[in-house]
Amino acid sequence: MSFFSIFKMTIPVLMGYIPLGMAFGLLLSNMLIPWYYAFFMSVFIFAGAGQFLALGLFASHATILEIGVATFLLNLRHTFYGLSMISALKNFSWKKNYVIFGLTDETFALLKTNDIKEEERERAYVIITALNQSYWVIGSVIGALLGNILPFNYKGIEFSLTALFVVLSIDLYNKSKQHKPFLISIVIGFIGMTIFPSDKMLILSLGLAATVLILFKGALEDGN
Amino acid sequence: METSYLVGAILVASIMTYFTRIMPFIFFRKKEPSAVIKYIEWNMPVMIMVILVFYALKDVSWELYPYGIPELIGIVVAGLLHIKYKNALLSIFVATLLYMVLVQKIMV
Repeated sequence: MSFFSIFKMTIPVLMGYIPLGMAFGLLLSNMLIPWYYAFFMSVFIFAGAGQFLALGLFASHATILEIGVATFLLNLRHTFYGLSMISALKNFSWKKNYVIFGLTDETFALLKTNDIKEEERERAYVIITALNQSYWVIGSVIGALLGNILPFNYKGIEFSLTALFVVLSIDLYNKSKQHKPFLISIVIGFIGMTIFPSDKMLILSLGLAATVLILFKGALEDGN
Repeated sequence: METSYLVGAILVASIMTYFTRIMPFIFFRKKEPSAVIKYIEWNMPVMIMVILVFYALKDVSWELYPYGIPELIGIVVAGLLHIKYKNALLSIFVATLLYMVLVQKIMV
């Protein structure tokens, strides 16, 4: 499999990561954080929603413990991705640690939706992950450095993240066998948005969702 | 913002993110995951994602002009496009562009 054909697979992610990364970098520089933190965050964290969340938490002066807990809860969905990658990565060398590190929503989607032959898999997976991360890093650094210079009104670009959540909700809903968790989470999300204090909304709502899921396991698994 | 705070926060966020990704490889290296874990793994992601939609809306001022209308339009458009074409980037791109036009030009 040629490098070019692997590159072609990643073009949709390129088109999404550059503007989204730029939105992240712009937000960071608007918070008066030096541009190189955008670079370090995209190199070491590499999580779209997670990095936006981190900026939000920086802005509300969250403690490092809160940042840790919130990041963990937000990215817990990646555990679900990892579960379905165990057999695909089984025969990889140490390089699988990088693929696991870079298992974002979009990378996972690319790896899962493309059929790559067993013997070419390790090289292709590493290249896909590295290309995707490079788009994200480049986008976020451009956003942090040039965002305020480029003559373009970015107001509202952060909505791309809301739209991303909507799209992933639909994808996951279509994939799930039970429909009750989806409906319950709409109720919990609404309660969280209207009643819970704004800065604790995410942690409280996710905690409530996990509690309901476990307490009503029997009822939720019944029918649809 | 202090350097030590930023560096510490980035370090913790990167470790936590990596941890969520490597967890299944650590815990389920050999044996099959338990029924409860499978149940949570199957049902939690959609709940997280729906809650994130509401999380993204938590700072909208519903009682002030434009009453959250750009957000609602953006969400409906993203959702309908995605149900019809199943192309994540298309849905996100069009909905975001529409939202930007709404908040910049139409419902200022």
